[in-house]
Amino acid sequence: MITCGIDVGSLTAEAVILRNQGLLAYSLIPTGPDSAATAREALEEALQKIRIRPQEIELTVATGYGRVVVPFAQKNISEISCHARGAHYFFPGARTVLDMGGQDCKVIRCDEKGKVTNFMMNDKCAAGTGRSLEVMAGLLQIRLEDIGPLSLRNPGPPLKISNTCVVFAKTEVLALARQGVPLSQILGGICDGVAEQVKTLVRRVGLEEEFMISGGISKNIGVVKRLEQKLGVKSHICFEPQIVGAVGAALFAMDFLQKAPSGPV
Amino acid sequence: MITAGLDVGHQSINGVILDDGKIIAHLSLKLAGEVNASATVAFEKLLSRAKLKPAKIDHLFATGVGREKVAIANGHRTEMLCHLKGAHRLFPGARTVIDAGAEGIRILKGDDRGNLIHFVLNDKCAAGTGIFLETVALMMKVSLAEMGPLSLRSAGKILLTSTCAVFAESEIVGQIHRGASRDDILHAVHESVALRIALLARRIGIEPQVVQTGGVARNIGVVEALRRNLELDIHVPENPELMGALGAALLAQNSAGGKT
Repeated sequence: MITCGIDVGSLTAEAVILRNQGLLAYSLIPTGPDSAATAREALEEALQKIRIRPQEIELTVATGYGRVVVPFAQKNISEISCHARGAHYFFPGARTVLDMGGQDCKVIRCDEKGKVTNFMMNDKCAAGTGRSLEVMAGLLQIRLEDIGPLSLRNPGPPLKISNTCVVFAKTEVLALARQGVPLSQILGGICDGVAEQVKTLVRRVGLEEEFMISGGISKNIGVVKRLEQKLGVKSHICFEPQIVGAVGAALFAMDFLQKAPSGPV
Repeated sequence: MITAGLDVGHQSINGVILDDGKIIAHLSLKLAGEVNASATVAFEKLLSRAKLKPAKIDHLFATGVGREKVAIANGHRTEMLCHLKGAHRLFPGARTVIDAGAEGIRILKGDDRGNLIHFVLNDKCAAGTGIFLETVALMMKVSLAEMGPLSLRSAGKILLTSTCAVFAESEIVGQIHRGASRDDILHAVHESVALRIALLARRIGIEPQVVQTGGVARNIGVVEALRRNLELDIHVPENPELMGALGAALLAQNSAGGKT
């Protein structure tokens, strides 16, 4: 049984191909202006890595904010459900899943089957999302992936960025840079700010272990370390934290096939 | 009695000199460099406009976010008090004052004598503030002064759904790619700014007359959008950004024993 999960997010899109619960291939590409074209591209890139033709995929489920416009998907399911399901696939013990994405941040509580029991999200404010890190990387002219490692080089006391709003924090960060505050210390303050925002959201939903982090920001060691410290827990992060939603979607596709073994779904 | 008020904001310094309650000089400057030094320079310029020596000023009050750093001032008052006082001087019927500035929005409610009864503010989030309008002006390659009139040409065909100014920026980029016109985008931006202000204002209730002060009131597009949203007339002083300084000068006069 071969299924596909497509996650079209605000900044990146992922495709995952599963055969009987086994991960065959995946892709990760930036989201373009045309979500449908982005979804097609993601699928093609995943298929290129394996010898499977598109016709062999029995069912495709789309998720993510662009899920309704994926032309070749038979079903679409919210990213909340898909993330919980995908989290359960990688870490069956996960009960709290934090998804830190490009334009939003979600905290999802789930049961031992990977079913959502509660969730909360911030998609109104850029503070604490991947976008804020992108803005700061652009402002300080460094690469996004360098923020985390550089931020950990700061040995001194943590620096506080007093503004929550990304627009105001930009002015504050520029002023700090002009005063000659070392880059690593500024980046430490930025990562601490993101962790603080996320911590508030986690606390509001309540944290039950085990704790898993998915989404692009979980690749930022500077944010993850500080968040673990603030929450006092260790986190699980899978080898590619950005495909968790797509894996969940592909697993739901498998459920659909098993419930309807014959005929169209 | 001659008194003065200096309003040191996030981006600008405004000053007013009163002679027995009558404005005899005023100025608006971009804030440059250190706050106290800028305030001193601004005050000197203000004095030369009024052709007065410093000793002639009986009392000087500072207001605005930088008020406590103004060493030459005899005292300071919050921008809430000052904006309300200033607006009430020009519009004695004012009961609600909307002060929308570069980095914050304040809604002030006053009584018939211009006393502050209640206020609510947003200074934590850039949504709906002047800094967001500045960003948009840069993106759309228009001056701040042009934004308002240009947006009035639009029939309001598009809508921005983001609250956050950062997300709104990407939404605007998306609209540009989709071929939306400049005027339509500006119109949508003003609608969204007005919505942020209106939501805040509704939290404490709006009682007419409504006066809008602060630099954003110079944008006719925002004022018109706010009129539509609140379904009320909004009075805008000729120099809306001076209201804080005017209020400070009036309070200085009061405090020095003069009648206001």
